[in-house]
Amino acid sequence: MITHDMILGISTILYLALFFLYIVYFAAGKKGILRIAWYCLLVTFAIQTAGIGLRWVESYSLGMGHAPLSNYYESLIFFSWSVSLFVIAMRRRLFPVITFAAATASLALMAYASLFPGIERGIQPLIPALQSNWLHVHVITCFLAYAAFLVSFTCGGLYFFESRGIVPPGRILEDINYRSIIIGFSMLTSGILTGAVWAHYAWGSYWSWDPKETWSLITWIVYALILHLRFTGGWRGKRTALLSIIGFASVVMTYFGVNFFLAGLHSYAT
Amino acid sequence: MTATESNSARQAAPASRMASFLQSLASVRVGIVVLSLIAATSLVGSVIRQGGTEEEYLSLYGEKTYHFIKLFGFDDAYHSVWFYLLLALFAMNLVACTVRRMRSIKGERERRAKAPPDVRALAAAGPGFTAPAGSLGEISRRLAASSYRKKKLSETAELYEKGLLARYGVVIVHASILAVLLGGLIGLVGGDRGFIVLNVGETAEAAVSRERTRRPVPLGFAVRCKDFNITLYPGGQPKEYASDVEILDGRGEVVKAGRIKVNQPLSYKGVRLYQSSYGMSNRYTFKVDGREVALGEQEVARTGRTPFMVVRYAAEVHDFGPGVMVAYMDGEEPKTLWFLKDVERMRTHTLQGSRISLEGITGGYYTGLEMSRDPGVPVVLTGFGLMLVGLYINFFTSHRRIYVVSDDAGIHVAGVAARNREGFREEIERLSKDLS
Repeated sequence: MITHDMILGISTILYLALFFLYIVYFAAGKKGILRIAWYCLLVTFAIQTAGIGLRWVESYSLGMGHAPLSNYYESLIFFSWSVSLFVIAMRRRLFPVITFAAATASLALMAYASLFPGIERGIQPLIPALQSNWLHVHVITCFLAYAAFLVSFTCGGLYFFESRGIVPPGRILEDINYRSIIIGFSMLTSGILTGAVWAHYAWGSYWSWDPKETWSLITWIVYALILHLRFTGGWRGKRTALLSIIGFASVVMTYFGVNFFLAGLHSYAT
Repeated sequence: MTATESNSARQAAPASRMASFLQSLASVRVGIVVLSLIAATSLVGSVIRQGGTEEEYLSLYGEKTYHFIKLFGFDDAYHSVWFYLLLALFAMNLVACTVRRMRSIKGERERRAKAPPDVRALAAAGPGFTAPAGSLGEISRRLAASSYRKKKLSETAELYEKGLLARYGVVIVHASILAVLLGGLIGLVGGDRGFIVLNVGETAEAAVSRERTRRPVPLGFAVRCKDFNITLYPGGQPKEYASDVEILDGRGEVVKAGRIKVNQPLSYKGVRLYQSSYGMSNRYTFKVDGREVALGEQEVARTGRTPFMVVRYAAEVHDFGPGVMVAYMDGEEPKTLWFLKDVERMRTHTLQGSRISLEGITGGYYTGLEMSRDPGVPVVLTGFGLMLVGLYINFFTSHRRIYVVSDDAGIHVAGVAARNREGFREEIERLSKDLS
């Protein structure tokens, strides 16, 4: 009997293989390896998608029947999936080192989700508050935003390295960073707004200053500031690179930090 | 402000001083500072406990810090005066920036209408090419196919435009934020919130505010809980819970009936009722010297010679079935005693000369409903919709202009794009390749 755990396990191993493929590429510099790595990413993504799908199907046979977007473990896997989806969608514009960084992040998220003690991995029943169609669109938009901001963070970090060898030139990093931020910002806005509409139906208030809400607002403001400083302040280069690193720190706080340090309405996500 | 600046400000006429104040309010720099302060306040509010009692703060932070927190209103940061001031300043900044931007768009349009740009210079600076004479029809056809709108500038010059709305993207986003803030303000002024706890069969005409005052919040109608249902997962966790309620008007007639579920509120006359919590509450019937008394938890019976109350309920007392622990005063001394419903000998006790017997225990659910009246919601939701539309227009469409000018040397094509210039260059190059 094939279970979703096995399939997700295979995808984790494939992410590891992908990691080493890129290492080999950076060492040997053969274009052929890059092609293999790309197909490896596509296969990994397909298998991961199948794993998530199977978990969804299995939840029905357990009498719960809900999308695997309901707890911390499921969100980690979905985050990893979103990062790969974003990279595949941006394919034409990305550089091997960015794809490598994204794949490594996916690997780290999968490994953390499946190995770290204290994370509940079983399929749990969906509490009544989460039984809503808004769950899907809210979670998907939020995690696509996180994925885009991860790529933006990668570009920001790479900007501080000399453009040589595997590091793309600054102008290109700047461009990818900007594209990632506008996609991430649009997705984050959609995520916050769908969350607010949902909260209006579930909790009776579209905004309650719950720590998760508050931090998503802070993140939103940080990226709004980046966009304004870019457009009207003419900020470029190291300054925007630094800002995108700060922005991602806020994302990390919104996703991980709030769960561990601040209690609130979103506490089922721990 | 430097000395010279303040001098010139003092000399200026009031009207222009007002204008200069508005001008500085309209600066993006002010917007950035205000927005940063809003983010910083939100951060502080998420770290410091909000809306706690004095004892909680003292035990959490100590006295000195508590005074500091209290002084700046950090114990309720999102409702403090200066947070509202920040939001007001932010709103004014948005209005000012938006007005300025609308003006500049209009000015640019007028300027462009007066003097069409030099196409050859444009072609030299940006994407452009020169096509052989006679391909004018083909260019026109191709541009129309990519949904460009044609405008004749003169006998020999044509302008093709697309994504005119893109210039208003920013304006739409900013207006949508104003709509959300306005909706929030309307809710703040004209809205009300509270909660209602109802046993099955009970009726309420007001909710209770969650504020420390616990003031009643009138509903404007009455709500009766007809029934409460809960279904559980095999593991025992709640799967769904719902209240069947009736809405009664002033004359006590049922005007609406429905089921309130989590994620499925009931709305009547601008008031929404949400399923928020539930619990068990029992009622206990006693016979005190032949008179029947019904008690809830923590209710005191004063019928007999001594007052008493139920302090504990147990579904199973040492295999003897359900029972309640009753507390009473024996002189100055508090005492407790168990009554067991199903054991004849333990069902009746004599307390200070009063004969008291436990007649029945009726269990029932109570439902916890959240009540909200928020006339600002439609405005906020409109703002949400506008914001998404505005972001899409702003980030993913772009205003593109292509000038086509014919002269003896051929047909000069040159274009300008406000955004995604890389993509626009590719588009022009494709057009050039298709024509050659």
